[in-house]
Amino acid sequence: MKASGTALTLPLFRGRLRPFLLGQWAAVAFFALLTGLPVVFLFLGSFNLAAPGKETVYGVQNWIRAFSDSGTLSALWMSISISVVRIIPAMVLAVLMAWLIARTDIPGGKTLEFLCWLAYFVPDFPMVLAWVLLLDPNFGFLNTMARSLPFVDGPIFNPYSFWGIVWVHTAVTGIWFKVMLLTPIFRQLGASLEEAARVSGANNFTTLWRISLPVLSPMILAIAVLSFIRGLQSFNTELLLGTPVGIYVYSTRIYDYIRQEPPAFGEATALGSVFLFVLAILLFFYWRFLRGQRKFTVVTGSGYSTLKVKLGKWKYVALGSCIFYFLVTMILPLIFLVIGSFMRRYGFFNIKSPFTTAHWMNLFSDPIFMVSLKNSLIIATTTALGGILLYSSVAYLLISRRATLGVSMSLESLCWLPHVMPGILMSLGLLWIFLATPFRVVLYGTVWGIALALIIGDSPVTTQAFKAAFLQLGPDLEEAARVAGASWKYAYRRILLPLVAPVAATVGLLNFGSALTSITTPVLLYSAQSRPLSILLLEYSFAGELERGAALGLLITVFMCLMMLIGRKLGLQLTGTGR
Amino acid sequence: MDQPVLEFSDVTKRYGEVTAVDRVSFTVAQGELFTLLGPSGCGKTTTLRLVAGLEEPDGGEILFNGQPIASPARGLFVQPEKRNMGMVFQSYAIWPHLTVFENVAFPLKVRRESAQTIRKRVLEALELVGLGGLEDRGATQLSGGQQQRVALARALVYTPSILLLDEPLSNLDAKLREQMRFELRSLQRRLNLTVLYVTHDQTEAMTLSDRIAVVHQGRLEQVADPVEVYERPATSFVGEFLGRTVSLEGQMRREAGRGWVDILQGMGRIQIAEDRCGHLREGEQVRVITRPEDIDILPRGEAGVNQVAAKVDEVAYLGDHIEYSVSVGGRSFLLAAGKKERYSVGSEILLALNPAQVTILKL
Repeated sequence: MKASGTALTLPLFRGRLRPFLLGQWAAVAFFALLTGLPVVFLFLGSFNLAAPGKETVYGVQNWIRAFSDSGTLSALWMSISISVVRIIPAMVLAVLMAWLIARTDIPGGKTLEFLCWLAYFVPDFPMVLAWVLLLDPNFGFLNTMARSLPFVDGPIFNPYSFWGIVWVHTAVTGIWFKVMLLTPIFRQLGASLEEAARVSGANNFTTLWRISLPVLSPMILAIAVLSFIRGLQSFNTELLLGTPVGIYVYSTRIYDYIRQEPPAFGEATALGSVFLFVLAILLFFYWRFLRGQRKFTVVTGSGYSTLKVKLGKWKYVALGSCIFYFLVTMILPLIFLVIGSFMRRYGFFNIKSPFTTAHWMNLFSDPIFMVSLKNSLIIATTTALGGILLYSSVAYLLISRRATLGVSMSLESLCWLPHVMPGILMSLGLLWIFLATPFRVVLYGTVWGIALALIIGDSPVTTQAFKAAFLQLGPDLEEAARVAGASWKYAYRRILLPLVAPVAATVGLLNFGSALTSITTPVLLYSAQSRPLSILLLEYSFAGELERGAALGLLITVFMCLMMLIGRKLGLQLTGTGR
Repeated sequence: MDQPVLEFSDVTKRYGEVTAVDRVSFTVAQGELFTLLGPSGCGKTTTLRLVAGLEEPDGGEILFNGQPIASPARGLFVQPEKRNMGMVFQSYAIWPHLTVFENVAFPLKVRRESAQTIRKRVLEALELVGLGGLEDRGATQLSGGQQQRVALARALVYTPSILLLDEPLSNLDAKLREQMRFELRSLQRRLNLTVLYVTHDQTEAMTLSDRIAVVHQGRLEQVADPVEVYERPATSFVGEFLGRTVSLEGQMRREAGRGWVDILQGMGRIQIAEDRCGHLREGEQVRVITRPEDIDILPRGEAGVNQVAAKVDEVAYLGDHIEYSVSVGGRSFLLAAGKKERYSVGSEILLALNPAQVTILKL
């Protein structure tokens, strides 16, 4: 069915409009350079013994050195362990919350959904910092509180540990996006399946356990596996909590290699390449798994569910638990960011006049802050606008009936590459390109280099959003303009562009926000002149300036939330994958 | 004869293995409403898109006002915006971000008309389609019928040499469809428009068209005026597509300048005028096609000329008329009849055919 569909639509316009065909291949080539080249450079770089930009000396010593170091394999292993362990509680909680929101009469379900949406946009690094304020063995508030309990001598919480990292992951980024993905899936589950179970004598719980979850299990599993792969890209939490006590994941290990003096590019690229192989194997199995599961998706029945499970008195328990979870994972850390930013010395509540605005003053009077703010705004604006321009064109090429099969397939896969490629590896590959090529002048250590890296990272979501928008419009509107006498350019400018403007605004805002808060991407690419705010926050945290860091982190968080709320007010739907 | 506005000669369009339009030739004359009629997927819309320049032919040549506009052999292709044709899409393709006025003004703006001219002509066009006073409405605030009128006004505002209509009535409800059909026809007459019309609805085609081309699997089965297409279908597909038909097999007989068909070895004989069977030979197997409404049911007696023996299998009382399922030989079909004479199940009857309303096809 699908094959014959493509066969029908593809060869249209072939042979005509040569410039269009040329444009297509130019786009493919450009994309191959943009997303594929960093990978190639990363791999080649691992066999280069000289520093980037110097004369190339080939050899396998990098690999030998990287793997004679026991830290390398243990870092890879640690990445996988953390990613696996953190998935389990997060998935259980996310499934439960999505089920409560979508299928039960829990009061305020819509509000809960909205809170998950908002929490998803709260930047993670400030929250990790907040958990340090709460859990640090010496000055962490919760540990201080615990000490006042009987029979407790030392600190009972320690964030600088495997379980600490897992906990912070679960609390900060664990469940929000998963709930957003799972809720619509639960909604679509045909009500008749559940009703049949109820009529057969099963209670609510049995129905959920024996019918709903097994039916949805392929999708739940798919989300879990994807979360696991995305979890491997994690960097911020491990950097802040793991590095001080020698817990390394591969991404923080790469960061260490590059940041040591002189930078160990060889080892870093060797480690990155190994990880790419691991990733490729994982993706292959994920793909195989998805293909095998496709036939299970009979779930979206016409019986769209309106009947909700009645929780009875349990609904207040359920609501209470959800609110408690939000309080602990979101509100509590945010409160402590505020407190932290106003304390003379964090953790010392008993000194004379413990509260001060001095850190905020210091922050705003710090010339580095102003420069970073400027850098951040330039980077975020460039990323947002560049992304809109580039990916709206790519999406147009993808859906165009004029596109040939080869073009759309290569473009499609190139667009998805950055989705699974960890930001740090993309940056490492780009860093190599920047250093080893004449682009060095323009891109190395400049805001433009960072913006370019961020634009590449935005490709999957942005392209999909535009693609969905164009598909929804259909070809008629454009063709009507052509027949009415408008040239292709005129029709694009006057008809298509205004119609996709809301989507452009949405993804622009999203990309602006993520550019502002990203750490993994700029961390290898910035210099003193191009340091963005997020990196400044990282530096404050490492320098032990927790109070000023809390202030800056809070600032970024509030700014981000405000932007997303304004976007939502404008009627823009800001879900992860398009409209 | 005047030069045709549009001329297709041997135009072919392939999508991979599938030939959507297969060596199609026809002409559309000035002021004519020419309809492409056929089931979905027969290639009629593709033909229309070939005219508009939204598809490029793989073979043949398309001439517009005597000038070639697409000719793969000569490597010639005129872009859609250079063809000066008006088109109404099935989905209407009203641009949702523009008002009614802006939608209709778009083709004139593209042609860089002065603001004054644009205003005058847009208002005229809206008046013409009965939308005067709605020019400031947003396009999305319109009903389906109104959207269709906007699309029509937009296609007419720059007085194109030909108007292309792609199933323009299929998205309207039944009552509105009838009204628009009527308006479309009177508008076409009044402005003497040349129209190429695509539809799968035979009633639409019959009532609107000057000429109909019945399209089947990318080929034109018959090009003729509505009466001829209906009454003398060139192929059995045309006959069946245009309504219920009765088809009987028989053998051609010719003798001393007369011709008749022997139905199913002695069930009856149908006389055929010489000009209708001149191409058929003695003894040839043929098919006689006619419409149920051209058949009268008579009580069984001596079978006369143009009468066929039959039997009633089933009777359905439908209030204002009675429907009989009758069989001739092994073939059965439905016939409607008045209530004056009634026949019960199992009755032997005679079917009287009107020889002027039968079509003879070679088997």
